[in-house]
Order: sequence, then structure tokens, then C-alpha cells
Amino acid sequence: MTKRNRINWFRINRGLHRDIGYFCIGMTIVFAISGIALNHIHDWNSNYKIDKHIYPLKVDGEIVRLLSHPAVTDFDHQLSQLMLQTTKSVSPLKATYWENEWQFKAFLNDGSTITLMTDARQLVYEHVSPRVVLKAFNFLHLNEGRNAWVYFSDLYASLLLFLAISALFMVKGRHSPWRRKSLYVVAGILVPLFFILMI
Amino acid sequence: MNKSKMMALAAVLSTSLLCQPLVAKDFGTPVNTDQLMAISTVLASPQQYVGQQVTVAGTIVGVCEKRGCWMELASDAKFEKLRIKVKDGDMVFPVSAKGSKAYATGTLAEIELSLEQTQKYLEKLAKRRQEQFDVSKVTESMRIYQLVPTGVSIAD
Repeated sequence: MTKRNRINWFRINRGLHRDIGYFCIGMTIVFAISGIALNHIHDWNSNYKIDKHIYPLKVDGEIVRLLSHPAVTDFDHQLSQLMLQTTKSVSPLKATYWENEWQFKAFLNDGSTITLMTDARQLVYEHVSPRVVLKAFNFLHLNEGRNAWVYFSDLYASLLLFLAISALFMVKGRHSPWRRKSLYVVAGILVPLFFILMI
Repeated sequence: MNKSKMMALAAVLSTSLLCQPLVAKDFGTPVNTDQLMAISTVLASPQQYVGQQVTVAGTIVGVCEKRGCWMELASDAKFEKLRIKVKDGDMVFPVSAKGSKAYATGTLAEIELSLEQTQKYLEKLAKRRQEQFDVSKVTESMRIYQLVPTGVSIAD
């Protein structure tokens, strides 16, 4: 084989690394953002935005009056209707539940919950709305979709492996990862190793 | 492919991703309604059902707001509920399902808590219910029971 006809592996590797890198941009953004979001989910809920509003009960209000007559017919229904009125909720009632003797919950069709706290004399209105984009990212990250997504994320993982390995053969000379710059490669391996061994 | 076609394709792909129904109604294997039991029956003598497969039904009165990894079904008995707990990501219960009826088939599990775990568990529970809590009053450890489901179905 002449020098001209020889396969240029260096060039092929660079080309593949470049194009696969472009292909991985979208997936990497999804996994990176959702990774941060899921890591900190206990500090900040990235799936849902929860709006809370507290309504103190008036001493002479209808709810307080009804609570003093628990034996009336259809007590739970009447109570939940008053809760809807007080919070000016327009969504229909889905279900009600007594959490304990002093907490009554009304669930609405739009996903809101109104909690009556008889001991604290207040109504807590809670509306939960999904954070559409972040929830979709988390959905993909946690592989909730299963099925075809499993194969696609396996492919993405393989492509990341290729990017990692091919990066070792991208640059020749002074900045090659086989010379002084190998310190960066070693550091990247040592950090996870440190966590495995020390924690 | 020119630039505008590429942009259109990207828009279609991202729209289809965002618009797909992310709220599932059936999770895991189908629910076995032949084994349907009242939650009050299961919780009246839970030791009898530990490790066994049962199906329960009830209104969803609580859902994990962060990961959707648990939900609570109201019992037919007053002030009683049963937690349906999965490993993170196995099933993701939607918060919007609160108030809907759900069926769950699975194995009843018993968790024996240490005194410290009991205190933490009750403290967390009180915080969620916005109740006063005095840790010094908890002097005995407790056991909790939860259903580890193989299948869950949420009805409208």
C-alpha cells in the first residue's frame, strides 16, 4: 500500500469524534441539566412548582359554625363546598379525606388540595403545577419511559464511551494526552476512584 | 438538509417530547383484582399478610412530590391509610393523581424501625401534617407496613 492509499485513522477518528459529538449535544444537555436537577431534588423540586396559600378561618365564619355541628347530614360535602367557596376554587371536587380528627382534605380535579386544619383554624390551599421542560428531562433521565428509550440511551452511553476513547487519539504532539497532558486524564480517573475508596 | 429544515425537525422532535403524555395510569404488571382486600383488613392484622401478595384499592391521598416514588391510599376505615412504595424510578406516580382511585397489587412489607428512626419518621410525619411534635415523648420503636407493588392502576 502506497503512502497515498494508506487509511488515515487519525483523520477518521477526528471526523467521527466531531460528528458524534454534534449528535450527542442534545442528549448531553438533557442529561446534564436533569442530573443537576435530580441531585438537588431535596432542596428544590424540579418536577413540580407548588403554590401554597393560607386562609385563616374567621371565628364567626361558616366553616367554624359548621364544625360545631358535626352531626348534620352530609357534613363532609357541606364542609368541602365551604372550603371551595372560601378559597374561590372553581375546579370540581374529586374526593375528600379525613387525615385525622383535626385535618380534612379536599382534592380537586385540577390537582389542587385544600386542607382544613381545625386546630390551627386555617385552610391551606396547595396548587401543584408541573415544570414542563424539567419534568420531561427528568422523565428521560430516570428512564421512566422504558421501551425504546432503553435502546436509545444505551446507544448514547456507547457513543459517550467512543467520545472518551477517541479523545485520546485526537491530538498529536506537545498537547497529546500521552505526554504532559496525561495528568488531566489521570486526574479524571483518580477523582471517582478517590470517592469509591474513601467514602 | 438546509438550515430551516433542520430547525423544523428539531422543533417537531422537541414538541413531540414535551407533548407526549408523561402521566401514566397503569404501572408494572396488570393488577390482580381477584385478590382485592380492604386496607382495613390488611392493617388489622398486618403480620398475617407480610410477604404475601395482596391487592388493595383506595383513594390516593398523598403522593411523593419530588420523585413520585410513593403514594398513600386511604383505607375504608377512618384516619387510616397504606403507603405504596417503589424504588426510585421503578414507577413514578403523578402528583395530579391525588383524589383518584387506585388499585395496587404487591407484597406487604414490614419495616422495623429503631427508636431513632421512629423519632425521625414521626417528626417528618408531623412536619408534613404541620403538627406540633415533641421528640422526647417518643420512647418506643415502631413497625410500619407498606405495599411494594408489582402493578398499579389509577382510575379516573
